[in-house]
Amino acid sequence: MSNDALILNLAAGLTPVRRRSMTREALLLLAVAVVEGALIVAAGLMRPDMAQMIGSSFMTWKIGSLAILAGLSCTVAMRSFSPHRSPRRGLRLAVGVAGLAVTVGAFLAFTADIQQPLIARVSPARGMLCAVSIIVLALPLLAVLRAMMRRAAPVFPQSSAFAAGLAAGTSGALVFTLCCPMNDPLYVLIWYCVGCTAVAALGRWLLPRHFRL
Amino acid sequence: MRLTPLSRLVPTSPRAPLHGVDRADPAADVWGGLMAAAQDGHAGAYQRLLSEVSEWLHRYFQRRLPPAEVDDAVQETLLAVHRRRHTYDPQLPLAPWLAAIARRKWVDQLRSLGRRPTEEIAETLSVGDHESSVTSASVLASLLDELRPAQAQVIRLVKLHGHSIEDASRETGLSPSAVKMNIHRGLARLTALVEKSRDVE
Repeated sequence: MSNDALILNLAAGLTPVRRRSMTREALLLLAVAVVEGALIVAAGLMRPDMAQMIGSSFMTWKIGSLAILAGLSCTVAMRSFSPHRSPRRGLRLAVGVAGLAVTVGAFLAFTADIQQPLIARVSPARGMLCAVSIIVLALPLLAVLRAMMRRAAPVFPQSSAFAAGLAAGTSGALVFTLCCPMNDPLYVLIWYCVGCTAVAALGRWLLPRHFRL
Repeated sequence: MRLTPLSRLVPTSPRAPLHGVDRADPAADVWGGLMAAAQDGHAGAYQRLLSEVSEWLHRYFQRRLPPAEVDDAVQETLLAVHRRRHTYDPQLPLAPWLAAIARRKWVDQLRSLGRRPTEEIAETLSVGDHESSVTSASVLASLLDELRPAQAQVIRLVKLHGHSIEDASRETGLSPSAVKMNIHRGLARLTALVEKSRDVE
């Protein structure tokens, strides 16, 4: 088919389209996260001492870091779904913020007054459960981000997919803080990192598959 | 012969003037208006936009791809523009949006070039459009300079000069599998170079 014939065909079949809106997409992601949080509360899984713990430096670090990372990575992912934007600068910033959060977490972990052996603090069996819970909570968000990416036009699909995975992972971890009963920064540092990294890797692997601009 | 640096051949920044499309160019603003009208369903505006964009894309790909690949790349890009037209924000100029999509399609076309059998490409280089061939060769030469000499040599022999794998093997003294490996890795490296040269932003 010649270019002219293709243009005629495309113009003949033209229909009005609803413009992509980042606000609408952000609200959709927020709604999914809120529904997940509401389900946790409704199921009675929310930690009972949340009101007392919320002001502690540990909780401030945990919720603050995850909220900043989730907001940043969601913004980077959604912005990068437009051909105008590259996710690389935003991803570098997100990795920097994550590094800072890990450093603060490591400081809290080693200054915490917890008299337990290291293996008890890390608690691998329970930790794996936490990591899996984070992944499960992140999956609906990842599915929404995948649908957004497939509908949009990212010109760096691999980087956008990684940003989307990071966004889903950190958002899932943020929702999971509602029900996570552990108060050891070392535990949180290890297993939340495992959960978020697994979702970011899953996003990087899954989202660009069968994607065609 | 002095070759143009790679960074000057890849119009990746929306702030940088594109060949034939500039942010300051009134035509670019006209295109934005036409696309906004097309999003609302105005077929006439859309047809005019695609015709003008098609000419620009033709020039864009002529400088970057072998002549036989140009039409495919133009049509692929037009289809991508059509499928993703809802992602264009009328508040922004159309040129960077279009250039980013065209650049992505260029990368895809380079990838598919690497996957195709070598024999198909041999006869496509002898074409009448001398100027575009020279420009394309100049771009390819500067890209090939970024590769390891062994990779650049076999890509020149097989992909550009049309030699068979066996001929290239005899000429370079490498085994046929080493020639294929060098072509594969060289094309992958070329694609990576183009992708990583500069961000769109």
